[in-house]
Amino acid sequence: MGNVIEVQHLSKSFGNHEVLRDIDFSVNKGEVICIIGSSGSGKSTLLRCINLLEKPSGGQIIYHGENILDEKHDIHAYRKKLGMVFQQFNLFNNHNALNNCMVGQVKVLKRSKEDAEKIALKYLKVVGMDHYVNAKPKQLSGGQKQRVAIARALSMEPDVMLFDEPTSALDPEMVGEVLKVMKELASTGLTMLIVTHEMEFAKEVADRVVFMDKGVIAEEGSPEQIFNNPREERTKAFLKRTLS
Amino acid sequence: MSIEYIISMITNNWPMFLRGAGMTLLISIIGTIFGAIIGLLAGVIRTIPKPERKIKRVLLKIVNLILSAYIEFFRGTPMIVQAMVIFYGSALAFGIDMDRTTAAIFIVSINTGAYMAEIVRGGVISIDKGQFEAAQAIGMNHVQTMWSVVLPQVIRNILPATGNQFIINIKDTSVLNVIGVTELYFQAKTVAGISFKYFEPFFIACILYFVMTFTVTLILRYIERRLDGPENYSMIGQPPPQLMLPKNKANID
Repeated sequence: MGNVIEVQHLSKSFGNHEVLRDIDFSVNKGEVICIIGSSGSGKSTLLRCINLLEKPSGGQIIYHGENILDEKHDIHAYRKKLGMVFQQFNLFNNHNALNNCMVGQVKVLKRSKEDAEKIALKYLKVVGMDHYVNAKPKQLSGGQKQRVAIARALSMEPDVMLFDEPTSALDPEMVGEVLKVMKELASTGLTMLIVTHEMEFAKEVADRVVFMDKGVIAEEGSPEQIFNNPREERTKAFLKRTLS
Repeated sequence: MSIEYIISMITNNWPMFLRGAGMTLLISIIGTIFGAIIGLLAGVIRTIPKPERKIKRVLLKIVNLILSAYIEFFRGTPMIVQAMVIFYGSALAFGIDMDRTTAAIFIVSINTGAYMAEIVRGGVISIDKGQFEAAQAIGMNHVQTMWSVVLPQVIRNILPATGNQFIINIKDTSVLNVIGVTELYFQAKTVAGISFKYFEPFFIACILYFVMTFTVTLILRYIERRLDGPENYSMIGQPPPQLMLPKNKANID
């Protein structure tokens, strides 16, 4: 099986508030998965649990046959294999666009500065930001920041890219430029896990759509099945609310 | 107490005033630098997230406890008293006969360190959580995150407070005359003792203190501007297509 990540019986509580309950879920190589659901359904928490920004309360996350929640497992080595794109971009404010894409390569992957710069420029070109290598984050617009953030994650050449509502903090006119980049990435066979509110986008690029509701996966399937023939009542209700 | 008298006092005693001002600057510069280093280390240690392993957790707790004790003690007692206790205490308890200048630098350093530890901690707390998360997400550990991402931003943000501390140090080294350090206040007092005039030597000292502090303020402002970098950036190569005007209008018709 081409499983990259397998999540088994994952649960997460903040205090006595159970955010995720018994999540079983797997990511196959080359697959583009969109996670949809209303706010507070646990989509972002699931994504953040997968790269351990939140510590799961229970269950297992299997990555290439190893349980990364095991105490002995090297978290940093695992995280560098996952690229993360945040809702709030989180570019390093003290670095320009180029250095944002280089610092992880040099410090974590121990690449030489020359190699790192080449790779950074390659991915800045992919997202169309190669002209802005000298710009500091505060000098860029939201859409531009997010594209640099995508290039930063790609520069680490990860196995899986995680996107946590990458367009939710953007002005409507800038959503398009980020989605366009993501569509291009999806067509290259990159493994992507995307939490999104953009239903049209999900319909278009996803190989599989996961609908979450109240901390559980309520339904998953192909985009045609989820959007055209949802089985569950709550999926129907959610789609009716968001698509109308 | 005419202007002429002050000028003659300067011309007669300028080596003493100059040496005093030099000593004051030496102690406060070295003290501030060492203090800032102590503060950065303490501030970074105090912001380490809770480790998973129990042994590490206990160890960190002990270190934090020691650091808190250090900070609270040196912030909570006057430097003039610390100077007496450390200078005479070290001789009494350990038989160490400290050089007065070394003792002065030591006292100013650990005093500044205690304040700077809190300034740095505040600076680290003020950095957006997203910066830490982004660094962690690309696989950086705590030291790498701090070194490459957080501390450069913290240092920029705490520069005004550090400058403040530096200026306080220039002024507060005057209390070190109690252990006989020949800084500016001590020298002014000596001149006063010789000449039996009190206003003039202290007036001169006053002006010298102000010149030193104001110069430091100007230098720090300059450094801040340098660290902020230019307002503008230069584009590399051609501007992106969406900014270019249509080349051939005939095609549109």
